[in-house]
Amino acid sequence: MKYQTKILIVCMFLAILLASCDGGGSSTGDEVRLVLGAYTTPREAYNEIMPKFQEYWLEETGQRVIFDASYLGSGAQSRAVIDGFEADIVALSLEADVTRIQQAGLITHDWKAGEYNGIVTTSIVSFAVRQGNPKNIQDWDDLAKTGIEVLTPNPLMSGGAMWNVLGLYGAALRGQIDGVPADDHTAAEDFLRQVLTNVSVMDQNARDSILNYERGIGDLAITYENEVLVGRNSGQKYELVIPTSTIVIENPVAVVDANVDKHGTRDVAEAFVAFLYTREAQDIFARHGLRVVNPESAAASAALYPEVEDLFTVDYFGGWDTVMVDYFGPEGIYTRVIQQVYRGE
Amino acid sequence: MNKKQMGFRKKKSLAEWLLILLVVAFLGVLIIGPIISLILGAFDNGLMPVLRSITSAGFRRSLGLTLRISILVVVIQLLLGTMIAWMLVRHNFPGKTILNGFVDVPFAVSGVVVGYMLLLLFGRTSMLFPFLDRMGWRIAFAPPGIFLATLFVCFPFMIREMVPVIENLDRQQEYAAATLGASGWTRFWRVIFPQLRSGIIYGLTLTIARTFGEFGAVLVVGGGIQGRTETATVYIFRSMEERRFIEAYSAALLLGIFSVLIVLISDWLKSSLENKKSTARLKNPK
Amino acid sequence: MNLALLRRKERRNPGAWILRLPSILFLILVVIIPVVVIFQDGLREGFDTFFYQINLPIARHAIILTLWTSTLMTIINAVMGLITAYVFVRFDFPGKRLLNAIVDLPMAIPSLVTGIMLVILYGPQQTLGVFLMERFGFRIVFASPGIVMALVFITLPFVVRTIQPVLEDLDQSQERAAATLGASPWRIFRKVVLPALVLPTLGGSLMSFSRAVGEFSAIVIVAGNIPLRTQTAAVYVFSQVEAENRLGASAVSIVLILISFSVLFIANTLHKRWGAHR
Repeated sequence: MKYQTKILIVCMFLAILLASCDGGGSSTGDEVRLVLGAYTTPREAYNEIMPKFQEYWLEETGQRVIFDASYLGSGAQSRAVIDGFEADIVALSLEADVTRIQQAGLITHDWKAGEYNGIVTTSIVSFAVRQGNPKNIQDWDDLAKTGIEVLTPNPLMSGGAMWNVLGLYGAALRGQIDGVPADDHTAAEDFLRQVLTNVSVMDQNARDSILNYERGIGDLAITYENEVLVGRNSGQKYELVIPTSTIVIENPVAVVDANVDKHGTRDVAEAFVAFLYTREAQDIFARHGLRVVNPESAAASAALYPEVEDLFTVDYFGGWDTVMVDYFGPEGIYTRVIQQVYRGE
Repeated sequence: MNKKQMGFRKKKSLAEWLLILLVVAFLGVLIIGPIISLILGAFDNGLMPVLRSITSAGFRRSLGLTLRISILVVVIQLLLGTMIAWMLVRHNFPGKTILNGFVDVPFAVSGVVVGYMLLLLFGRTSMLFPFLDRMGWRIAFAPPGIFLATLFVCFPFMIREMVPVIENLDRQQEYAAATLGASGWTRFWRVIFPQLRSGIIYGLTLTIARTFGEFGAVLVVGGGIQGRTETATVYIFRSMEERRFIEAYSAALLLGIFSVLIVLISDWLKSSLENKKSTARLKNPK
Repeated sequence: MNLALLRRKERRNPGAWILRLPSILFLILVVIIPVVVIFQDGLREGFDTFFYQINLPIARHAIILTLWTSTLMTIINAVMGLITAYVFVRFDFPGKRLLNAIVDLPMAIPSLVTGIMLVILYGPQQTLGVFLMERFGFRIVFASPGIVMALVFITLPFVVRTIQPVLEDLDQSQERAAATLGASPWRIFRKVVLPALVLPTLGGSLMSFSRAVGEFSAIVIVAGNIPLRTQTAAVYVFSQVEAENRLGASAVSIVLILISFSVLFIANTLHKRWGAHR
């Protein structure tokens, strides 16, 4: 075959391939692009919610919504948005990550005003243990035992890890841990140090942490109840252990003003956020391992989510602003303890 | 003179058979085993899941992005790569040797580092950002960033392939054409270019294969945003993270097949070029 | 006569700068500036901070892990690459052509796909992986053997394809002479063939080392991203970028660039001074 003919064939093949790969990007009629920046844990839930919203919006306005979504560790996602990632909506793991974006000037409205204070879902800090619970992990004090290998993400990168640390520390301060007197910071720090010494791997985000656990590393993973349930939904065989005392993880969602104004997507974005609180969306969250804020949805899914004996929130510590300084700041309690652990190794 | 005549041993000793066996076992375990596993893994649940995976919207979008970037990079490589190679061989100018050394730099830089460098240059905290913002140009976390990253890593391929080819050009033909009055352009197109074709094809093959496979740079500078900066490789990675294993394996299999196909196609193209020449076959046993 | 004329024309042609300027500009923008930027960023708080960052336990471990896995891989590849090239060139056996073509596959296959293949074959959820774990306490995937294996896979073609042409062109008269003088085949190999192959082997090995040092895709899949266990330098840079530890990311990036670049430089110098084959 002549050389030129071959080149022609190759080019045709390429053209066909390219045409077949433009999967749904062609624009016919009115359509709008919405960019979501979320943390890693709820991605399955959002994968289900987004099509539902697309249906809803199409019916309401005749406009097609196309979603671009990115899932990273909450802290990493927050920084990515500040660094130039133009998310219209952010759904993160903790308030501080949204506040950071606000302080960078990208969020200009009071995102906490509103019925649910900007919180769309909740979860609790709990443990994932091996099938059959061979090491008999029942509560926080079991984490400090010698020979136990613990997994938890790195608080400096992952919101999930911050919740984990606060859950542990809060339970200690509240006297809910055997052998640790209440309101005793020295004892609580000691306990934290013991557990951190048992941590073998610190990942970047909650999802990576549980994935590593699935790969056979560690005896238990401190994680969200949500991550464990999602993992079990997809066939993983680990078990969930809820400690007697733990913290409520509150996940905020907010519209990013700078970006929606630039893209002209404010209406859609605000509608999407509102949609997240509806019964339909909240039910989807509940199906994917998240505790919900919508009261009817919460009542309907109560069977899946047992009550915790001693539940507290970040307000116990004085709110995120205090926590970011007192615990995770350069002189913070966690920062100090982890340095001690590193040096002790 | 074939190999049997050249060798002075006709029957193979035990030692030689052992060596052959060693090599076969090594390649089997190292290369063939994993490839078979990929095929088996992808088809673990039968044919339908695989077909569904590779025709899914998510994968097709990511593949489309990979292809579009690939073509753009190839075009630029073709023009600029050949130009730079030509310059390095035929021209002499101050600073040429330094430039020559710099061409190899992308070989020494890991993918994630490339992505990070571009992030430093074009991210929101960079010096360039206010200017880019005013122009409405988004490079980081957008396709242009991925394009630049891919261009960077592919940069040396074309040049390195073309330099020896250009060095070996038959200058007699060029001068003959010049004396016969052919213009510069005619000289290039009818005398020089045909000799370059083989090298160009090979260089482009390497480039395309590389663009298909680039991951680290794309992930860092693009952010892996579904639908926007998610290339085929990033899609596979995300599928693994979301525990959608069959989809990940199917996509990986397809990407692997495409890459091998590219090499085969380039061989196919080159074969009709070689048949024209009556010179000895290329030493490379491919 | 014509030769000299044309040559002089080429040198003094001012129009040549139309060709040169965009090319040089392109080179500078696409290649040089990004590298300069990263050096400037990593060193912007001085050498002390730079050394502090690369001495952090996780960073130091990552760099050391990268170095020893790449070295081990290079040794394996040098030995097996040499044997493989020799077997392909000197012996004939059924299936040789196919096997020879297979050696090229790792160069075509994206390294991410390589990682996935290894996870499927040796992962802890597969029978082979479980078998290895239970019988030998040996884990390949999500452990360092997996890293070495992935690196060997990816860079083997470099070594084999660098040695093969040299071996093919080798003048066998010396070997035949040695044989008639009574030397054993092993002796012939060691004293006649091997010296000629040292340079291409070295060149190919250095190239594969340089490539291995920067490898990310395969390792992040096959070894996970487990700090202080399977996190190589490139993966560490990735994690630091996500953690916004700019100084850490830039510092280790600089180390990586310096390592790869020096190795490449050595390989190139060898190539030029003793005129290796390709």
